Amino acid sequence: MVSRISSPAARLTLAVALALAFGPSAARAGTVKGTVKLPDSARSTRLYQGYWRLENGNVPVQNSGGAKLETAVVLENVNGAHPPPARTVTVEIGGLDARPRLVVVGPGSVIEIKNTGKVRLNLSTPEKPSVVPPEYLPAGGTRRQKFDSIGGFAIRDADYPHIMISVLVVDSPYYATVDEKGGFSIPSVPDGKANLKVWTRGKWAAQQEVDTGSKEELTVRVSASGQKENAEKEAAE
Amino acid sequence: MFLSKIWFILIALVSAIAATFALVAPRPAVQKLAALEGQRLDRAEYAAEQMFKVDAHKWIDRVSKLGRDAILSESLDAASRGSGEYSVIHRTIQDRFRTLIPDLSTGGIDEIVAVDNKGRVIARVGSDNDKEYGDYIPGVEVVADALRGYMSDDAWGVNGRLERVAGAPVLSKTKDRIVGAIYVAAETGPALVERLKKNLDVDVALLLRGKVVASSRPVGQLDGLPDLIAQHSEDIASLKRTPALPLEAGQDKLLVVAAPFPGQASEQQAYYALIGVQPAKTDLAALLANVRASDLKWGNFPWVPLVLLTFAMIAIGLVLQRLEVEEPLKKLRRELQRLASGDISRIDDVKYSGRIGGLAREVNAAVEHFTLGPAGRPEPGAKAAGAPMGPAGGKTFDLPPPAPSFGAPPPSPAFPPPPPVVPSFSAPPPPPAFPPPPPSLPPPLPNLAPQHTPAPFSAAAVAAAGGAVSAAPAIAVKGAPWNQLPPSALGNEEDAERQMPDGEATRVVPYDEHEEEEAHFKHVFDDFIEAKRACGESLAGLTQAKFLQKLRDNKATLVEKHGCRTVRFNVYIKDGKAALKATPVRE
Repeated sequence: MVSRISSPAARLTLAVALALAFGPSAARAGTVKGTVKLPDSARSTRLYQGYWRLENGNVPVQNSGGAKLETAVVLENVNGAHPPPARTVTVEIGGLDARPRLVVVGPGSVIEIKNTGKVRLNLSTPEKPSVVPPEYLPAGGTRRQKFDSIGGFAIRDADYPHIMISVLVVDSPYYATVDEKGGFSIPSVPDGKANLKVWTRGKWAAQQEVDTGSKEELTVRVSASGQKENAEKEAAE
Repeated sequence: MFLSKIWFILIALVSAIAATFALVAPRPAVQKLAALEGQRLDRAEYAAEQMFKVDAHKWIDRVSKLGRDAILSESLDAASRGSGEYSVIHRTIQDRFRTLIPDLSTGGIDEIVAVDNKGRVIARVGSDNDKEYGDYIPGVEVVADALRGYMSDDAWGVNGRLERVAGAPVLSKTKDRIVGAIYVAAETGPALVERLKKNLDVDVALLLRGKVVASSRPVGQLDGLPDLIAQHSEDIASLKRTPALPLEAGQDKLLVVAAPFPGQASEQQAYYALIGVQPAKTDLAALLANVRASDLKWGNFPWVPLVLLTFAMIAIGLVLQRLEVEEPLKKLRRELQRLASGDISRIDDVKYSGRIGGLAREVNAAVEHFTLGPAGRPEPGAKAAGAPMGPAGGKTFDLPPPAPSFGAPPPSPAFPPPPPVVPSFSAPPPPPAFPPPPPSLPPPLPNLAPQHTPAPFSAAAVAAAGGAVSAAPAIAVKGAPWNQLPPSALGNEEDAERQMPDGEATRVVPYDEHEEEEAHFKHVFDDFIEAKRACGESLAGLTQAKFLQKLRDNKATLVEKHGCRTVRFNVYIKDGKAALKATPVRE
């Protein structure tokens, strides 16, 4: 026997249940996967090259990291995306090196920089001085800087330019860092068109429009000239 | 004078071109010199870059050699494993450094640093803080590279100083693992500048963060250099160098080629600039200021061709002037003198060109005007009467030989009345200055008297006989009573001088009509005698009194018949015999 559902309360309950059951499937989501191909020069773990870089000839060299550790892929203009919540991230600078070197946060986040080394630092964002004005950070000191605007920012030290912290302030939770091979995966991206941008070593290095509903793996090539062009574009902005 | 004018214009053009060339010619040379100086700086920049590369490799080799030292290797291995006392290891390594490199400054080394495999500083030598150790510097790229197994170099800008750095790993005794790293830093300052200047023969400046940190030129001369380089940062980013840039340094004009240092110093606006001197200015003052006495010596300056050329140009100008001006003037003068001597034949004006030709034609016109009258042509009646025409169609009349035919009939009445007389007639010459008759006698004119006129004097007068020929209208009247010359036609002495074509004064005739006429008759008599002698004729029966009386009679007849004021007689030779012409003068 099938009993009829006649009361209004029962009908409302059913409608809500149906909406919960079928609503998400109407706006389907997928994973955006791909590989970022960086130029050969980005394989180096060094940001600045001298005249020579020679292997020692006895012990195999260790080529871990390189620019890939400082590379992130960000999806912008995703349907229905909301910025990630603001948070505070601590970056330690010690031994004349920053850890982590790349931070991706939502608007309003605070970057807390701790100088754990023995030298005084002079940190700023040279390309956008208003974001992080030049300021000395003594050994053992801490500096907090809030990032409200969306974008990518490279915090550098004036005396030790190789010390660089990349801060990406994004407007959606759809981003990922790349692994050793340059692969990335961004889960649960709503289907539709989006703008994929690649940040590496302090610059937006590439961008392209992608269909997030596509199951194909993306390949994003970053050329040395592309890096330069994007850097110029960013500087012009 | 056409060629003379062309020659002067040509000389002016050549002079203008020479002046233009003298002022403009140095400019391409200066531009070429600037380009060559730029190229020299380019080559110097390339050489400097290669020198830096070689230097970097040498430093890497030296550091690598240090890293192979057994004591250093064992010490760093112990430090990396934490198996020894740090202070002892620290001193051991410092002592070893000092043993291996006793004098750091001689080797150009600022600092040597040894780190263990974690990037911790174990020992420093050479720096002010060489007693400090234990700090971590694994983030330093050269150190990080060395700990990964690379030998590399870098350039740093630290504390206002520019340093070149080379690092190498230190391997274990068994060469199977990295136990630490060593890097050396060499200050890149005045010593490098001097070495570059010595090797490249250009001035050198080193810049860091918008300041000149070392330079081979005086301090303060290169204050504008950082801004100049900053303006060309795009060139530096793309080409790794600037083109040759002009730079004012006080009174010096310089050329600069700048290039960045590699490594992280490039992020700190670290450049090396190679500086040359721009060529001198090209204006006239600068050109003359740069002339040395030796430049004007015989061996260095083409004086001989220049002098020869100058004289050749002057000579050509003079020759042209002579050919076109002086010679024709001389000829014309001779012609005028011939006219002045009484030979009133027409000047061959075809021989003359230009203004002198025009002058000759004017003279001809004047002669014709004088001999023919204003109408310039004979009257039809005169022709009908058989009146002979002068060489230029003028109205002169042959007289019969005086001796046998002195009783000639009166002149032909067929002469028409003379045209209005125009004043300003040149005065006839006084007898003493009269030219010798035979050579300068006028060419044979059509003889009127013997054939066509029954008159003893058919009518004849010589206009301006023996005097200067003036371009002013002269009048000879035909067929009318000719009885007098106007006083104004004779003028005074100054007038006579003025009437000469080239301004030369000739004979001045004082005006006394009767006396002048008697003098004229005597003169004619003398000329006649001369002419007869020249022709070999007999002078028998010919006396001056009779001759003069005959002239007076003929004059009176002609004056009465034609109403002219007077008559002028002239002697000429016709058919080998002396003959007389009469020219009536109206005023």
